[in-house]
Amino acid sequence: MSADFAAARSIIRRGAWVTGLALAGLAGVYVMALQYTPIEARQGLAQKIFYIHAPAAWSALLSFSLVGLAGGLYLLLKDPRVDRFAACSAEVGVAFSAVMLTTGPIWGKPIWGTWWTWDSRLTLTLFLFLLFVGYLVLRAALHDREERARFSAVVGIMGLVLVPFIHLSVYLFRTLHPRPILMKPSAPSMPPEMLRTLLTSFGIATLLFIGFVTMRYGIALAHDLAEAHADD
Amino acid sequence: MTETPANGGYMVAAYIVAAVIYLGYTLTLWLRARRALKG
Repeated sequence: MSADFAAARSIIRRGAWVTGLALAGLAGVYVMALQYTPIEARQGLAQKIFYIHAPAAWSALLSFSLVGLAGGLYLLLKDPRVDRFAACSAEVGVAFSAVMLTTGPIWGKPIWGTWWTWDSRLTLTLFLFLLFVGYLVLRAALHDREERARFSAVVGIMGLVLVPFIHLSVYLFRTLHPRPILMKPSAPSMPPEMLRTLLTSFGIATLLFIGFVTMRYGIALAHDLAEAHADD
Repeated sequence: MTETPANGGYMVAAYIVAAVIYLGYTLTLWLRARRALKG
């Protein structure tokens, strides 16, 4: 038992280190975006919102994809560790989505002239966010561990199905949202300074995702151990 | 030739909002970690 608690402590500590490193990296991305990248002529300084919005969207979709994959794995293996990981990834995904869904409209107002429009990309993204908020509420409402893991695995898989639609929505439907600049079949189309900053910001957002999920997993493990100890 | 729009305020607002969410979430994790390890 104490060895398991020591493992949880060690996981939290490692997660905290990675998170700290990623937050320092995020500060570096802010400096790069403000000082190093040129100002886009047509969009002005508002274009620089892109360096925090797009990486947050990437990490959010990564988190939610992993929840769905972990959900599928849980239904096959019935391993509580996979379910625990899915729950942690969902919560982290909601945090990244909050950044994506707030910075997007702040960019939209000066560029599109409106904070929000009900087009396919924005609507599907909001729906995905609400789906995973529902996922977290569902988990909090169910007390039977196995039932909770099974039901939430199904919701997670439903979220995973939405992810490719969100990525492809800019090609499939008429939308105001810009098409991908990095994740597209042809080469990225932007000046090298912008590309370097964007790639760095994607790397930092991924590192932040790893740090957050690791920390959250350690907390969930400690919580589960305490619960099991109380049941004995 | 069109002039570059002056919309820096939106950029500052977005950067602050993102920092607040990331730091706020980190703080909740830190507080929960402390509580979980104390228990």
